[in-house]
Amino acid sequence: MIGELKYVLRNALGKDLAGRYFTTFPDDTFIVSFPRSGNTWTRFLIGNLIQPSGSITFLNIERVIPDTNALSKSDLRRIPRPRILKSHQHFDPRYKKVIYIVRDPRDVALSHYNWQRKRREIDDQYPLERYISRFIAGDLAGWGSWGEHVLSWLATRHNSPDFLLLRYEAMLEEPLQELGKVAPFLGIAATPETLATAVERSSADNMRKMEKTQGNKWVTTKGRREDIPFVGKAKHGGWQSLLPESSVEEIESAWGPLMKTLGYELTRRSGPALEPPFIPLGNWGARHDQSNV
Amino acid sequence: MSVIHKLAYGVKHILELDIAGHNLVPYPDDTFIVSYPKSGNTWTRFLIANLLQPDPPLTLLNMERMVPAVDGQTRRFFKAMPRPRVIRDHGPFNPQYKNVIYIVRDPRDVVISAYNFVLKGSIIDESYPLTTFVNEFVRGARSAVGSWGENVASWLATRGNTPRFLLLRYEDMLSGTAHELGKVASFLGMQVSADRLAEAVNRSSADNMRKLEKMHGDKWIQNKHMKRKDIPFVRSAKAGGWQAVLPKTAVAEMESAWGPLMAKLGYELSTSQAVETRALNAAL
Repeated sequence: MIGELKYVLRNALGKDLAGRYFTTFPDDTFIVSFPRSGNTWTRFLIGNLIQPSGSITFLNIERVIPDTNALSKSDLRRIPRPRILKSHQHFDPRYKKVIYIVRDPRDVALSHYNWQRKRREIDDQYPLERYISRFIAGDLAGWGSWGEHVLSWLATRHNSPDFLLLRYEAMLEEPLQELGKVAPFLGIAATPETLATAVERSSADNMRKMEKTQGNKWVTTKGRREDIPFVGKAKHGGWQSLLPESSVEEIESAWGPLMKTLGYELTRRSGPALEPPFIPLGNWGARHDQSNV
Repeated sequence: MSVIHKLAYGVKHILELDIAGHNLVPYPDDTFIVSYPKSGNTWTRFLIANLLQPDPPLTLLNMERMVPAVDGQTRRFFKAMPRPRVIRDHGPFNPQYKNVIYIVRDPRDVVISAYNFVLKGSIIDESYPLTTFVNEFVRGARSAVGSWGENVASWLATRGNTPRFLLLRYEDMLSGTAHELGKVASFLGMQVSADRLAEAVNRSSADNMRKLEKMHGDKWIQNKHMKRKDIPFVRSAKAGGWQAVLPKTAVAEMESAWGPLMAKLGYELSTSQAVETRALNAAL
């Protein structure tokens, strides 16, 4: 009852978490990904690009590129437009302009495991194999499974001029080039110098340093375990040494065709043939160019 | 919404008398009847409700309580509903829905039905050009559940190949109603005799539903707030009406937006679109 009253008061004052249901505007841009896919890094990169005068930190990021799952409805209303917002939501037709980041699910699963340990949602003894099975089933958080999440966006928006697909792995290898794609998508004039500055300021080393002093104040990490860092290794392919073979196989048999399509090489040589499922793909939303309000 | 309105909503929320909508708490044994609006969802609900309750014969009003719309009943209502529940929704992909029957209909017919629906609600009048409406429809401009293509693709891509997803085509339901309803019954885990299927089909005929709409239509939640009483909710219940009504340019616009998806669903294209089946593999 007390909880309900709190919710009602928060709701009346607009202080409840924005989440999936808040007022969107047609000029919003959303940075969307499944959790643990490089979204925070991307926010830092973009934030440092659009705000070259001062560096992005964990203390100001929520004002520059706010997290829809950390701020309240009224907080988001106060962000000057056009807004760039972070989201982990599965397909939402109200998001008209979307940067979607995808990452190898074998690495996502590992990072997610550490993340839930950091949040004390599982303890260190939780068996990784069992965790991976639950990760595949998508019952760990309310975001849907990794495959559902990726497909819900690709099937509806891929090929749309208002949809930019980024691979986390490509961002790691060629951050300048990938951030160079983001700039024109956002209509930002960027020079090689401003791009390089943004990449430098958003380096894993820099972010790790900032996390050490700011992590206990940032909304996302406040009160979480401090012995497990939020900023991970910032590498790809860690699964090759850390994931049990059976887990790798389980992931690949769940999402093999989709992974292959996204350029993630499969280890499986034998087993059942991987028939690609029926994946309708395209810009079925179409034509966001005209007035849509 | 003013603070007063929000507090009024708050009181309702505490009493669980607020409309469920996205605050519905789904159970793993719920089955959702999902479709884009104007795709035969009400008919399907009526068919299912007639299976669930053979006697006494149903009205639209008690159908609305047996297979309720997610945005048509309160949270308290859904809490009190006996499980397993069958619930209607029009939304795009929702990961919380574990058992889904998705009804798809030729978008060229959907758009005509949608046009009639906004006419019925007096949102537009008869002078509103159909071609403009089709353009809005393609963009999903009047929709809270995405465009037709977004809605359909979001479900097919995520769930199309999974065992707890049943895809129905409205056109197949028209031509083989008992057969398609039989699929629904087994998806719901119901043992139903051929006689009972036939009876449910019979009671859910367009004629019977038209009669029921005449009897109780004014009290029915789907009609209550519709200004134009001269336009019925239950329409012709036919497929292919678009061929006589839709201007060629409008057809071309829809087919160029959704051609590959339509073709994949068995809706023959009338314009010569370059139908590259944009399989994900090829496109990336």
